[in-house]
Amino acid sequence: MKITLVKKIKLDGSLCRKCEDVQQKMEAADQMSLIDEVLLADERDPSSPGMLLAKHYNVEQAPFFVVEREGQQPEIYTVYFKFVKEVLNQKTREEDELKEILNDNPDLDFL
Amino acid sequence: MTANLLNTLDLDRELSNQSPQEIIAYALDQFDNIAISFSGAEDVVLIDMAHRINPEKVQVFSLDTGRLHAETYRFIEKVREHYGIQIDVVFPDAYAVNNMVREKGLFSFYRDGHKECCSIRKIGPLRRKLLTVDAWVTGQRRDQSPGTRTAIPVIQDDKAFARPDGTLTKFNPLANWSSNQVWEYIRSNNVPYNELHDRGYISIGCEPCTRATGPGQHEREGRWWWEEATMKECGLHAVNTQK
Repeated sequence: MKITLVKKIKLDGSLCRKCEDVQQKMEAADQMSLIDEVLLADERDPSSPGMLLAKHYNVEQAPFFVVEREGQQPEIYTVYFKFVKEVLNQKTREEDELKEILNDNPDLDFL
Repeated sequence: MTANLLNTLDLDRELSNQSPQEIIAYALDQFDNIAISFSGAEDVVLIDMAHRINPEKVQVFSLDTGRLHAETYRFIEKVREHYGIQIDVVFPDAYAVNNMVREKGLFSFYRDGHKECCSIRKIGPLRRKLLTVDAWVTGQRRDQSPGTRTAIPVIQDDKAFARPDGTLTKFNPLANWSSNQVWEYIRSNNVPYNELHDRGYISIGCEPCTRATGPGQHEREGRWWWEEATMKECGLHAVNTQK
């Protein structure tokens, strides 16, 4: 299995807030060692590796994870806690997952 | 057909030029296990359209947060009877609600923002429901949230709610319609609607978080008015990703 993490660099050159937050969580939980490759989606450079990967997989949010398993279609995770639960098989709190989903999809509260 | 065989980007381009009815017809044709999300507001047009297209295939669910207006509960019941359909009313996890209310009271959203409450009362049950379907249909429109950078597509690969090792397709047939077009449809087709609309409510959500709006106000101003508009920070700029 190969896991790629894509982080976003904003137009002002800084890391996006959620990418920073996820990175801190991953470091605190010692999960970065499980990531095989980290790519940057630099909004100032559409041809940056992360931007190309986002375009390839039609992903519109960052950070995101690409999980490649032999003989299987790559899986894309845009929800960090979902990735932690389903790929890293680690425990998560449901309230954290739900909050992350709503934060990433602010239009959902209109339902 | 399974959703992962669908190229949602190409399909979005194709379906974007089609009417909501054509989009719904396509969705119902492609998926057997598909459900319409009905909030008890003007998204009733989705049910009306689907019912005209294929009444046998109309599967509807509503999220009962426990805090809806009495008028909305009456309206959901009216819709059930009017179309002769089942509406799967789904509820939040009682334990999670109980914990939040015990710790923070019944109106914590006025102090802490609405997201914690919405995630427990709305997103939790929504996720449980969506684990049981292959596709879902919402009444989300682009004109509802002008501040959001990423435009709502007509069809999308819903990665947030997909089952582990599975896919979920989300249809937003009204994405390109304006509020006026929705209301024109409701009036010209005699579609039943929530009586709160007659009292100045444009957008209808939970009772404590919804208010009537005045002339010229955007419908978003009728929801969570005590909060500042939040900007979605981590969207990858569409301008760049579409190049």
